[in-house]
Amino acid sequence: MSASIELRALAKTFGSGLEAVHAFGPADLTIHEGEFVSLLGPSGCGKSTLMLIIAGLLEPSEGCVRVDGAEVNGPQTDIGIMFQDNTLVPWRTVWDNVALQLELRGLDVRQFTERIRALLASVSLTGFEHRHPWELSGGMQQRAAFCQAMVHEPDTLLLDEPLGKLDAMTRESIRTDLQALWLSKRPTVVFVTHSIEEAVQLSSRICVITPRPGRIDRVIDVDLPYPRTLEVKKSSEFVTLVGDIQEIFHGYGVI
Amino acid sequence: MATASSDAPVRRGLQERLYPLLSRLARSWLFIAFFVAFFLFWEYSIDIFSIPRYILPRPTEIVRNASADIPRLLEYTYITGAEALIGYLLAVAMAVPLGLAIAFSSVLRRTIYPFFVSLEMTPKIAFAPLFISWLGFGMLPKVIIVILVCFFPVVLNAILAFGSLPDELENFCRSTGAGPLRAFLKVRLPAAMPQCFVGFKYAAINATVGATIAEFIGSDQGLGFYIQIVTGNMRPDLAFAGIFLLTILGLALFGMVTLAERLLIPWHISVRRSRG
Repeated sequence: MSASIELRALAKTFGSGLEAVHAFGPADLTIHEGEFVSLLGPSGCGKSTLMLIIAGLLEPSEGCVRVDGAEVNGPQTDIGIMFQDNTLVPWRTVWDNVALQLELRGLDVRQFTERIRALLASVSLTGFEHRHPWELSGGMQQRAAFCQAMVHEPDTLLLDEPLGKLDAMTRESIRTDLQALWLSKRPTVVFVTHSIEEAVQLSSRICVITPRPGRIDRVIDVDLPYPRTLEVKKSSEFVTLVGDIQEIFHGYGVI
Repeated sequence: MATASSDAPVRRGLQERLYPLLSRLARSWLFIAFFVAFFLFWEYSIDIFSIPRYILPRPTEIVRNASADIPRLLEYTYITGAEALIGYLLAVAMAVPLGLAIAFSSVLRRTIYPFFVSLEMTPKIAFAPLFISWLGFGMLPKVIIVILVCFFPVVLNAILAFGSLPDELENFCRSTGAGPLRAFLKVRLPAAMPQCFVGFKYAAINATVGATIAEFIGSDQGLGFYIQIVTGNMRPDLAFAGIFLLTILGLALFGMVTLAERLLIPWHISVRRSRG
């Protein structure tokens, strides 16, 4: 269960005339089924814009997106989506927040009881089902949001800096969970991040995006074995790759 | 030992029930002490500073003299309360749907919305004499004036409430393919409630003010009318009784809205804080 995504001469400009801001593109990219692709770039490079366009939530100014060969021209519903600010609502418990995804789709929540239970267990939220989001730590909230994005078994996950607001230790632990889930279900994942290490640890491919206007400057295959444990992260291949990418951004004048 | 353990559960139950009450008292004792001191000061300063009775009566005199006039005071409390409550509920019933419509219609947002914003600057109470000249001395013009002073805070906050769903939630709803009604009931409406309640509370404060001033301007019943008449008769003691009952009305209306808020949005930060 996964989908291929193609970007063809995709560009986005906000506003028009003298006030026009060229945010992104033109970009060409093919993401194969089951890949974990990171969009890695500095803030303001339009990577979140690109993600919204892939989701069909924002119209491109030029070019198009194709999912499994079909052109996107409206919100994609066969996706799971996650943002830096999570979409948990404060009036629902963790369990009901996960169920919200199903309810909005008009699905029968009762048929998903086992799935919700298993998902929450997979991110160590067993026992917190009946807590409200504001009773949880930031990390637990993002774990719950992850279950919300996954519960309807989407082909594609679009993750826009989902770990952006978390502390380093929590990020590390959620990365491990995210990787385990990806390895077991193999959805296509588009992961927006500005952390080089995070991109290298998780991705099968990394798209390096230039500062504004964002362009996909390089696509780097990450040939490191999964699961990428602490051992892998200590390996010289891992460290070298992180260093190489740092040099690319140094070349842009970003770091 | 045996007896101690057998009545321990009973005692614990009583303690558990008493404890919140005592801790609440412990937190508010300063306020209660201030309140008592304030009235004691009032009571004795009348003699100390030789203030004439027709300027300011003692609290004990207010209570004594007002209790002789209880039937009329209760009847007028009922009338003013009804004007305030009916006007308030009608204002909310009209303003929320209208605020919703304005939040979602770009045409309304460019026509009615600026009109409302400019009307918000008009002191609505200035319309009161007009309504009384059009509709007479009865309850109807008072209810209309209450609607007028309650309507704008509710409608403006409702527009803000329904128009400010965070982008993430907006995009989340769209990505599920949920229809407008389903997205509204499950996400937009509950998300808008806290900001709506800001308007409801503001309007609740306005309601008794509107009813009282409307009665000042022209009526033959109600607490506003009463206060005006007894003041003319050099009876500030009875005027204070009327003011006291208006305060009770205001508190009751505000309390009703706060209770509704606690029941409807117990998850909101303002409610959680006030309970903690």
